[in-house]
Amino acid sequence: MSVQTPAPATAGTRPESDPEGRGASRRRRPGPAQVATALFLLLLLAGSLTTEGFYSLSNMTAIANAAAVVGIIAVGATAIVLGGHLFSLSIGTTVAVCAMFFLHVLRFGMVPALALTLLFGAALLGVQGWLVGRFGANPIIVTIGAGALQEGAATWISGGTSVYPPPDAPDFSWLASPLLGVPFPVYVFVVVTVVGEVVLRRTVFGRQLILMGESPQAARSAALPTSRLTVTAFVCAGLTAAVAGVLLGAFNQSGTLTTTGTLTYDSIAAILVGGAAVTGGRGSVLRTAVGALVLAALADMLLLRGYSTPVQLLALGVIVVAVILLNHLTSHDKETR
Amino acid sequence: MSTTPRLEVRGVSKTYGAVTALDRVALDVRPGEVHALLGHNGAGKSTMVKVLAGVVRPDAGTVLVDGEEVAPRNPRQARAAGIALVDQELSLVGSLTVEENLALGAPRGSVPDAARLRDVLDRLGLAHVGLRAPVARLTLGEQQLVEIARALSRDARVLILDEPTATLSDAEIAMVFTAVRGMAAEGRSVIYVSHRLGEVLELCQRATVFRDGRAVGTRDVAELDRDSIVEMMLGHVPAGTERPARADDGAAPALRVTGLSVPPRLAGLDLEVRPGEIVGLAGQIGCGASEVLRALAGLEPEAEGRVEVAGRTLRPGRPLRSAAGGVRYTTADRKSDGLFLGHSIARNIVATRLPGCGTAGVLRPAAERRQLAALLELTGIPAARRRLPVGSLSGGNQQKVLVARSLQLEPCHLLLLDEPTRGVDVGGRADIHALVRRAADAGAAVVFASTELDEVLELSDTVVTMFGGRVVARHPRAGLSAARVLADTTHGAPGAAPTPREAVTVA
Amino acid sequence: MSVEAPTRPSPARRTARRTHTSRWSGLAALAPFGFAALMLVALFVVPAIAGREPTVFSVYNALQSFSGMALVALALGLTMIIGEFDLSVVGTYALGGMLAVELGVEQPVLGVVAAVVACAVLGAAQGWVVARWGVNSMAITLGGYLVALGLTGTIGDNRSQAYENYDVSGALNTPIAQVLSLRSLVALAVVALVVAVVMLTWVGRDLRATGGGRRASRVTGVRVDALVIGTFTVSAVLAALGGALQSYGVATATSNPGLSPLIFAVTASLLGGVALSGGRGTPLGIAAGALGLCFFAELFTTLVTPQYVVSLLTGGLLVAVTLLTTPTASRGWAALRRRTGARSRGGAEA
Repeated sequence: MSVQTPAPATAGTRPESDPEGRGASRRRRPGPAQVATALFLLLLLAGSLTTEGFYSLSNMTAIANAAAVVGIIAVGATAIVLGGHLFSLSIGTTVAVCAMFFLHVLRFGMVPALALTLLFGAALLGVQGWLVGRFGANPIIVTIGAGALQEGAATWISGGTSVYPPPDAPDFSWLASPLLGVPFPVYVFVVVTVVGEVVLRRTVFGRQLILMGESPQAARSAALPTSRLTVTAFVCAGLTAAVAGVLLGAFNQSGTLTTTGTLTYDSIAAILVGGAAVTGGRGSVLRTAVGALVLAALADMLLLRGYSTPVQLLALGVIVVAVILLNHLTSHDKETR
Repeated sequence: MSTTPRLEVRGVSKTYGAVTALDRVALDVRPGEVHALLGHNGAGKSTMVKVLAGVVRPDAGTVLVDGEEVAPRNPRQARAAGIALVDQELSLVGSLTVEENLALGAPRGSVPDAARLRDVLDRLGLAHVGLRAPVARLTLGEQQLVEIARALSRDARVLILDEPTATLSDAEIAMVFTAVRGMAAEGRSVIYVSHRLGEVLELCQRATVFRDGRAVGTRDVAELDRDSIVEMMLGHVPAGTERPARADDGAAPALRVTGLSVPPRLAGLDLEVRPGEIVGLAGQIGCGASEVLRALAGLEPEAEGRVEVAGRTLRPGRPLRSAAGGVRYTTADRKSDGLFLGHSIARNIVATRLPGCGTAGVLRPAAERRQLAALLELTGIPAARRRLPVGSLSGGNQQKVLVARSLQLEPCHLLLLDEPTRGVDVGGRADIHALVRRAADAGAAVVFASTELDEVLELSDTVVTMFGGRVVARHPRAGLSAARVLADTTHGAPGAAPTPREAVTVA
Repeated sequence: MSVEAPTRPSPARRTARRTHTSRWSGLAALAPFGFAALMLVALFVVPAIAGREPTVFSVYNALQSFSGMALVALALGLTMIIGEFDLSVVGTYALGGMLAVELGVEQPVLGVVAAVVACAVLGAAQGWVVARWGVNSMAITLGGYLVALGLTGTIGDNRSQAYENYDVSGALNTPIAQVLSLRSLVALAVVALVVAVVMLTWVGRDLRATGGGRRASRVTGVRVDALVIGTFTVSAVLAALGGALQSYGVATATSNPGLSPLIFAVTASLLGGVALSGGRGTPLGIAAGALGLCFFAELFTTLVTPQYVVSLLTGGLLVAVTLLTTPTASRGWAALRRRTGARSRGGAEA
């Protein structure tokens, strides 16, 4: 076969030879996305410089801490987005339920409690992934429905009250206390991000997941295990939700359904700000983590300047819309219609 | 002729990037004329049709209807100018009823009443189809006729039929012919785009031939015969290469299929293929050959019947089981369910063999590189290009990537290729055929489906002709004539002798 | 193989198939109304069995909740018919209610108009993005939802706001003919208007065409972009109206209604015969689904069921209905239908 020359083709369909590699030509000139990102970061910088108390050590710690919980959730949920299954709209509920579960099972000891909580989170999301992957059910609707089910079941079992750790529980305060001046969740965040990035880039699962997100039909005809990939992606999200639940439960020392706040939307926004394509196939765990940090900084800034939670939500919405539009307009490879 | 042409095209050009799809095309169509547009794939006739229908806006040039300049910017304006397109790709909505589909897109207030629609349907031989029947329940042929009925009900002055008979049975083709002649007799003009030269010779008065984006000439059909048309289209008559017939070595079949059905598109297929044998499923679009391949690959959950590959029974609707059983499938539609277009050549080419490149789920870069190098060499794509998006390759090279994905995988008992060289140039086609033959020589049973006569005759050891979801006949390659295959695949009845006019198609 | 081998089904067989399927689809179209009727009966029968006094008042209650919820269901359902999905209906529902309450103390109608106009702008913007750029509607409307929710919270100072004009609230809730009220009558009128416009004109056909085959519709000259933008605008208007009606009715606007209106709307739409893949369903079906669901919810209120049970039931119902309408499930239905059809045909021929 080596004597064969590549088939002649009409000149126009061939790109200029590009030994640099994929995307080099795209990076040569800053596109609208780069300009917008730069503008946004400048705005953030200007805002932070004029916000009193933003650059204090305690505030930085607060930001890192806030980013950690959202970031951990977002890193796992990135797998769902990458696989082309949009978002989970009840991941915040799952985090709360996991926190309640963790505090409840602490009576069996620290290690069993951690293991059980991880298993619990994985199972919760795994079932949803199974419904989505095996039966082709719509992920948004399945996760909304599953959210209502989780809320109902949690209220039923807990009797509608907060869950507190049993009096004879092992010491879990280290989960929430600083280590070498940095809050413990930040270390977990770093570890989860690194593990997530490695899984995505260096495993068969990660590679196949991205391909499936790019084109589910092509994945099916290439005999990729689409159902299994979907379940695994949801399980990833479940695991990180469980981790976040453990940290949140330990921090609050109690678990209720109302502690979740806007975790669901924060995590989705972090993924989108990280540049993942809404319809799957493109994205990175590392950039999701950066997205979480940026959003935490923004929320913190708004808080320091005295804006209320709804204003933060409004800002979140505007950013989500802007990022989706930018992302869409700058990607020419994909047709979503 | 001194009268104003019904439709006149002057100097229309259209380029896509660096590709010239239309280059200063001029043509005219007279009132009451049936005018053929001919040309092989990519010659520009589809683009011309799209320009006329307002789907594509030309870069330069004018279109005149009855001497008045029209510049259709969208399908609605084209229709307002009296131009109606019946596209190859049907523009019916399956969830709507026949009546709703007929009314779809009609200018407000001008929706014909039910009686008139009924009349139009009856004239096309659709008397048995109710106006309230959902279109999704009709056969492909009936749907095609409904599509024509829609154009008829709109009183179009110029009707463009793009490959209207590709999926139709003989009786239905006769109905279309009657309808077309009737329209011409009423003074309407019909532009008839077809690969079937026999139809063109029978139905049309004049023909314009396209080649490489240019209209190379308009002739009276009376002056033409098949050979002269083919010469105009290609500049030469293609000569096929033949593979030496394989001797029957009596080996056990690698594939044994009994009673395979995919209701309602495929019924009762039996097939046996030996290792190393290449079986071509020949037939027109909609004949059920694609369904055979998809069902064997486990992609048709509704398939029924017994499939045995290398002695193991496969259950339908389980693509992973099929793949594990050594079945490798290559789709006909590389854009929608073949390639991962946003990803690189390298990512695409190893997509099917990732588990083989890893230990316990973790990828080994060295193993991946080795696989990649071997496959790139196989396809002849320069290794330096491996990081380019696969979408940036030419059609031929994209197809090679797609085919290569199915090669050199263990185990490989059955290689399935649907339209292995659709949209591929001559050189690429020879390369892909060579790849397929090598796979067969290495012991795989090969089954491919093709609507291209040349390809079927070139690549197969055995030709299975199909029509309307059923097998017509099974022919050994040796001594098989193109006319025979054509007769089988266009008539469905194995006993019928081919009429001369259908002896040549150009795909 | 014989020369006579039939290459396509004979006309007789085809007719048999056709009548069979049309009978099925006719039944399917009636399902939402059957569901609503069943729930209405259950609303009287089940409490009686449970030893409680069934009253007409529970019908009144169900219709009161129908007044707000049906409009949200209709808002979402219309976007589902065109093959899109408007998550932001909960946002515009909340925003509409809040704006009406804040601006409509002196002039209730003015408040509603302001709410509707503001939400219409938001809806049109979303529709424009979806139509022109082909952005996934679930994603972009998630952004729209957050924006609307943020605006609601900002206007409402992050808490529920009372509506001071109690005369309006009273008038809206005064029972008419025992089961109706001005509130439910207004909602019914709006539903009737939408039903009339969509089902008696070309609009319904073109909406279903847009959802059932976007490319085919575009090629045939359906104004797909205009329809998509229009539908998203109407969706926001309906949700805002529903929110305003609800807020006036209960004299309160909430800052964050949670996802339960969305759960209601999706379930009602799916029960009403709308497919997530688009191209199917009618506003009448959606309204029937919403009505049935309101009776269903009222049933549990009558039985004094704890809130968590209702949460479990609605969540379970949503997941169940979603699963029953997945491609896999509909393939299963089709196979079942074919098998029963084949049996009955075989019987007839034998």
